[in-house]
Amino acid sequence: MNQMRAAAVFSAISANVQLVVRGKPDVVRLAIVALLAEGHLLVEDVPGLGKTTLARCLARSIGGSWSRIQFTPDLLPGDITGVTVYHQKDEQFTFHPGAVFANVVVADEINRGTPKTQAAMLEVMSERHVTVDGVSHEVPSPFLVVATQNPIEMEGTYRLPEAQLDRFLLRLSVGYPDLADEVSIIMNNCTGMDADRLHPVVQIAELVEAINEVRGLFVDGAICEYAARICAATRLHASVRFGASPRGSIALVRAAQALAATAGRSFVTADDIKYVAVPALAHRLVLTAEAELKQRSAADVVAEVLATTPAPTMSAAGR
Amino acid sequence: MKLPVALVVLAATVAGLCFAPVFGVGALLPVIAVVAVVTAVAALLCQSLVSWRPLVVTLAGLLAVVEVLLFPTTVAGLPTLTTLTQLAEGATESWQLTLQSTWPARPEAGLMLFVPLLVVPACVFGLEIVLRLQKPVLALVPSFLVVVLSQLFGALTGLAAVVAALSYVAVAAILFVVTRPSDEHQSAQAFLPAPLVVTAVVVVIGLLVPMPGPAYSLKQDQLVPVSARMTSPLDEVGHRHARPDAPVFSVRPSCDECVPDRWPIVVLDTYDGVTWAPGSRYRRLGTELEPPDLHVPVQRRDAVISLREPETRWLPSQTWPAAVRGADPLVEETEGSLLAESPLRTDVGYGLSWWEPTVGGSLDGFAIDPRRGGLGGIGSPPPGVTELAAGAVKGVRSSFTSALQLERFLRENYRRVDGPGGHSWPQLRRFLLDTKEGTSEQFAAAYVVLARTLGIPARLVVGYRTPERKSGGEYVVHNGDVLVWPEVAVAGVGWVPLDPAGAAPRGAGKDNGLTAATQNARDQLPPAPVDPPVAPGTSAPADAEHQPFPLLTTLITVAALVLAWLAGVPGAKWVRARLRRRQPGSAAVHGAWLEARDRLREHRVRHTAGMTPLEMAAAAAEAGLPATANGMRTLASTMDIAMWSGTAPGPHLGDHAWAAVREVRRGLRQRGLPARVRAAVDPRTLKA
Repeated sequence: MNQMRAAAVFSAISANVQLVVRGKPDVVRLAIVALLAEGHLLVEDVPGLGKTTLARCLARSIGGSWSRIQFTPDLLPGDITGVTVYHQKDEQFTFHPGAVFANVVVADEINRGTPKTQAAMLEVMSERHVTVDGVSHEVPSPFLVVATQNPIEMEGTYRLPEAQLDRFLLRLSVGYPDLADEVSIIMNNCTGMDADRLHPVVQIAELVEAINEVRGLFVDGAICEYAARICAATRLHASVRFGASPRGSIALVRAAQALAATAGRSFVTADDIKYVAVPALAHRLVLTAEAELKQRSAADVVAEVLATTPAPTMSAAGR
Repeated sequence: MKLPVALVVLAATVAGLCFAPVFGVGALLPVIAVVAVVTAVAALLCQSLVSWRPLVVTLAGLLAVVEVLLFPTTVAGLPTLTTLTQLAEGATESWQLTLQSTWPARPEAGLMLFVPLLVVPACVFGLEIVLRLQKPVLALVPSFLVVVLSQLFGALTGLAAVVAALSYVAVAAILFVVTRPSDEHQSAQAFLPAPLVVTAVVVVIGLLVPMPGPAYSLKQDQLVPVSARMTSPLDEVGHRHARPDAPVFSVRPSCDECVPDRWPIVVLDTYDGVTWAPGSRYRRLGTELEPPDLHVPVQRRDAVISLREPETRWLPSQTWPAAVRGADPLVEETEGSLLAESPLRTDVGYGLSWWEPTVGGSLDGFAIDPRRGGLGGIGSPPPGVTELAAGAVKGVRSSFTSALQLERFLRENYRRVDGPGGHSWPQLRRFLLDTKEGTSEQFAAAYVVLARTLGIPARLVVGYRTPERKSGGEYVVHNGDVLVWPEVAVAGVGWVPLDPAGAAPRGAGKDNGLTAATQNARDQLPPAPVDPPVAPGTSAPADAEHQPFPLLTTLITVAALVLAWLAGVPGAKWVRARLRRRQPGSAAVHGAWLEARDRLREHRVRHTAGMTPLEMAAAAAEAGLPATANGMRTLASTMDIAMWSGTAPGPHLGDHAWAAVREVRRGLRQRGLPARVRAAVDPRTLKA
């Protein structure tokens, strides 16, 4: 079965990452889902919960190139995309690639960069190439941006615009570990087991093959319609000012495809859609001021939509 | 929190208004409304003073009670010691005084204080529960206890019961909705079916099914204790004859047609062979007594009576009193006698209203009515009396005609004399069997005991005749007008006075038809007693009000409905499962999922429209049905393959899915029998 390769890739990366990231199998699974679905990942949580560690572990587990960008207010777009420099000896302008020219780019604390710098990421995340001085430069494939941000500490930060949030396939929260896992994390730290000790377990060629397998996974028409209904319901919800766009529907199905592949399945089920719905849609919703005053979260709204939107029970062909 | 506060107070208000059978809505509403508004406002103003709020709200509620009911005892609205004393007495005694009263009771502070004093704690406890705990069910418990207590006082019936029940349910339903946690996914529409069904059932039962009167009331065992050491008016008759010119009372009727010919003082119903005693079921007279249950038209009459005799306790009345104004007497409901709790002064006057039956034609052939009493014993009659009674009517069966024949027997065979009387058996035996001469009291007493011997309900009444002449616009009744007469109970007409001594010359009273109808019947008496035909429609009252409750029919209907439910619902589910199972291909798998889902829903497993089979399995495990999890997981994987894999389902996939359903059902069998029976007859899952 073709999908066994994607499942094997998932198992290898998952096992490797969990050597360091303890007690968060679902977060790791969704991070790999984003990788297999060719999407970008935004990890959002309070400091110290392992956002950067997760991103670095993911990057370390793949045999390709990876880079890390620490976003700060004085970071310039050229630092990310690269610059063209005049070479006196050759009397030519030479392009020096920036940090985005890697298979996995860890954009740490992305909301500390200025809007101009954040916008520089926009093109490369969606188009997978950068344009410097009128010349386009392709980034290597596969290309995955794993960004982290702290949603609590707002001083000196620039909130990501909705347009850029929409570029991320999934948004994850790591969450606090339970007691046993925290003990395990401490012991790892004492023994020096960190992301730098990880070795690549999947080569780029294998990853590309797995990504192609995911892309060809069968999705029934009723499942697509279910995804579309969920997104439509977010637009009609009373607490939502702007609901999920069709890009959200596509992201939902792509993520569900990858999730099904990690389970070794050759088709997508309604449960796959529901599993990825909150990480795939919540960051695409803009809530009303009243809902925010009531401290309702976008995740609550998506959960409510999932509870009230009838799950498909019959395939499109069987109707 | 304004809305929950208002709803809790409204629930307490509705509960307080459930005392409507006792005081009437008009008397209760202003008092309870003021108390409710004040407590609600006090609660809202004290939201920041959480610790002091119960005390402040209680004091505010009590102050509202004082201002509305006890204002005359205050000084410029400020409570005095008298106010507090009355408040304490109201809390401890008013409920009992109310139970001792006829209903609707007088809307006096001394009687109705306990109702607002119940509403205040119902508001306070309810408000604290809803504000602190946010538990709507618990918050309604205090007001519901008030409802229960009010129904023990006097149950609401008919339309009033329906309105009260629906009002309380509506308030409770709104309270549940507004206090429902916002993170629950069920919409308000999900709660609609149950209240709608309850409403429909309440309306149908309350309005369409004829219900008997309340089976029990705390009132029925509560009577005013009356001292037995009172002089019987019967014993004073001789004394009054000795001083005939002394005025007793005067009557100022509201119209000339309103003057009755007699004024009963006391009805003597019990005879032990020595003394005649009045009834003992005395209550405080409320605002109004209902008209008597008669088959003839009834009119309301009014007159003002002024007492001219000191130390009076027995007040002139009528057979069917309606209301008394200006005095607060006790009333013997079955007899109509009015009794002051303490002797009244000579200058006391009161307004009396009464119900007067209007009779036309002749009472000849009317049946007697033993339901009204009048068979309260005859002691130990001496030998010869029973035979005398039987011979007087020649064995004719008991009827009004036989009562008239007995009256004619005494009139024709006995002679009235003045002098000392006496009404114990030795004196009556001497009168009946030996001398055949007696006083008018002896005639009346002898008539009653002979009638009772024959099974004719009769009673002895002491009262006064209305004098012929008016003086200064009113009739002054003197001792000489005292009269003792027997009355017999006639079906549909009530108590009819007779005159076996021929000693009741007609006064100024206007005949309401009863005297003429009685005279017509006398005139139609045959010379010799014969068994009279019973007038059709008079012997057995057959109006709908007296028809017995169709208990058997109701029970059969209810049993049929229950059987139809118990058998029909499981049968319909069985048919539905068969139809689902017979579907071809992936439809059979789909049917299996629907069947498993419905089976779990019957067992109260949480279900929403968005649930998948895997989520249903998790919900079943949460609901305490882990044994069904394997089956549900198998079903989920089967359904995934059948529906979403894009391949044609194999021939055995349907069987596989239904095998999973059977596994789910086996898991459900581990539940107790009551839960399985309840699930089997639960009709809700029949709805798609």
